[in-house]
Amino acid sequence: MEIDPDQYLRPLPRKEPFNAPFWEGLERGEFLVTKCRDCGDWNWIPYEGCRSCLSQNLEWTAISGKGRLMTFSVVHRGPPTFGTEPYGVALVEMKEKPRSIVVLANIVETDFDTLEIGMPMELVFENIPGENITMYRVKAA
Amino acid sequence: MAFPQKAAAVVGVYTTEQARGMERSMWSLELEAIKGALDDAGLSHTQVDGLIPMAYETPLNLHMAWAEQLGGRPITYMDVGNGSSAVAKATNAIAAGMANVVVIYFANCNNPNGPRQLKVQSKAPRVPDWQFMVHGAYMSVWYAMWTQLYMHEFGTDQEVFAEYPVQMRANAMLKPDSMMGHKGPITVEDVLSSRMIATPLHLLECPLDNDGGYAIVVASAEIARDCKKDPVWVLGGAEATFTDAYMTIPVPWNEPKGQAVRRCTEMAFDMAGVTHDEIDVAGLYDCYAVTVARDLEEMGFCKLGEGADYMKEGHLYRGGKMPTNTDGGLMANSHNGNPSGMHTIEVVRQLRGECGERQLDDPKIGVTLAQGWSVHGLAGTLVMAAD
Ligand SMILES: [Zn+2]
Repeated sequence: MEIDPDQYLRPLPRKEPFNAPFWEGLERGEFLVTKCRDCGDWNWIPYEGCRSCLSQNLEWTAISGKGRLMTFSVVHRGPPTFGTEPYGVALVEMKEKPRSIVVLANIVETDFDTLEIGMPMELVFENIPGENITMYRVKAA
Repeated sequence: MAFPQKAAAVVGVYTTEQARGMERSMWSLELEAIKGALDDAGLSHTQVDGLIPMAYETPLNLHMAWAEQLGGRPITYMDVGNGSSAVAKATNAIAAGMANVVVIYFANCNNPNGPRQLKVQSKAPRVPDWQFMVHGAYMSVWYAMWTQLYMHEFGTDQEVFAEYPVQMRANAMLKPDSMMGHKGPITVEDVLSSRMIATPLHLLECPLDNDGGYAIVVASAEIARDCKKDPVWVLGGAEATFTDAYMTIPVPWNEPKGQAVRRCTEMAFDMAGVTHDEIDVAGLYDCYAVTVARDLEEMGFCKLGEGADYMKEGHLYRGGKMPTNTDGGLMANSHNGNPSGMHTIEVVRQLRGECGERQLDDPKIGVTLAQGWSVHGLAGTLVMAAD
């Protein structure tokens, strides 16, 4: 099948009902993580129960969006819908603790040659044209 | 409670053709593998009473379908597992009287792990919310990130990791049915000048992504003694997991205390009553060189950060103190999707002394490690002994 370069054809999340607050948060420019009201720990990715105390008393809470580059790769051979130009993939460890929030995301607005493990990064948001979803990406802070 | 050492043995193994783009069904490959492994053991399908399919998703109705395929007799033991842990669990079940002959099997056809898995569609496909393909982060990308982090933390030279595929190609050249052996030797320079896939990994640093099937038959000690070939005894084995599959990663990623691989390896060695120095041959999950470095560290063959040095010193290559993946492993023999049983099969063949040109000098004790599903997130270790 021909690839229309103007159409977004990469896979997108389903927006599952349990995660609805997360996807709504992205539309407002907020990255929400489930924080435990009982023990205070962060839980990413979202689960029904807190990993530290198993409480189900969780609250979707905006994080700072700031973190550091845990590691990354510049991908030269991706699936066809990721195009012919290399794309960046990162794991970013967010500032919030104690339980680490490590976000997997594509790297945007950053010269790949400047990437270094440990450098400050931040979350940014991208409204996907023609689709009912805003995605999260990361860039050099 | 002690592990039931030598209550059961691996009595049959079989691998189908391993190739890319096979026009076969998974079922056909699995059936060929099961028949082949039973024939290797000299057993009949009517003796099978335990099933451990290793298909990616294994609900109980899969065991039921295979029970009917194998003659419609009661199957009394149904389990899941990987190429190492399944053998240990089968041994345990046999010792407990739950079964006598257990078949462990897997096949993959036209279901690639690499970027080919994502077909172009007319609209963006929707996938589960935290699925890695949203970011184009297929397996090689995850392992590229792990390699990048490892090299950064421990100052590993690219050449050390690039030596691994060179050695595996040389191993595969001694195995007539390996996928890459016939292509001849490669050098570190060839590896580092091959096409970049995902920094820092080049094409020749990535595993194969092919079709194929295999099966392993485990039988009680009593049955094993009457089988066609010498039994390979199960001394111990265990499995462990700690994290969900490829969605996030704990910090630190390279945990000094170890994670799943450490846990199941300590358990398996304790059960088997063997020490690291006693291992003559190994089959360690080796999708990328960093995986092998971390296998060695987590398993306790060296300390955190020293895995690459262990590789550099050549201990796991031919002529080293623990020859590993003598079939060429996942880069040069076969990576058929869920290939952990391939490592077990090669170690069984070495312990039987049936490896022809690549046969090691009378190995007595072997270890295998299965890992995967979120880089060391799911693991199994198996210790076996020659008769
Ligand atoms: Zn809690």
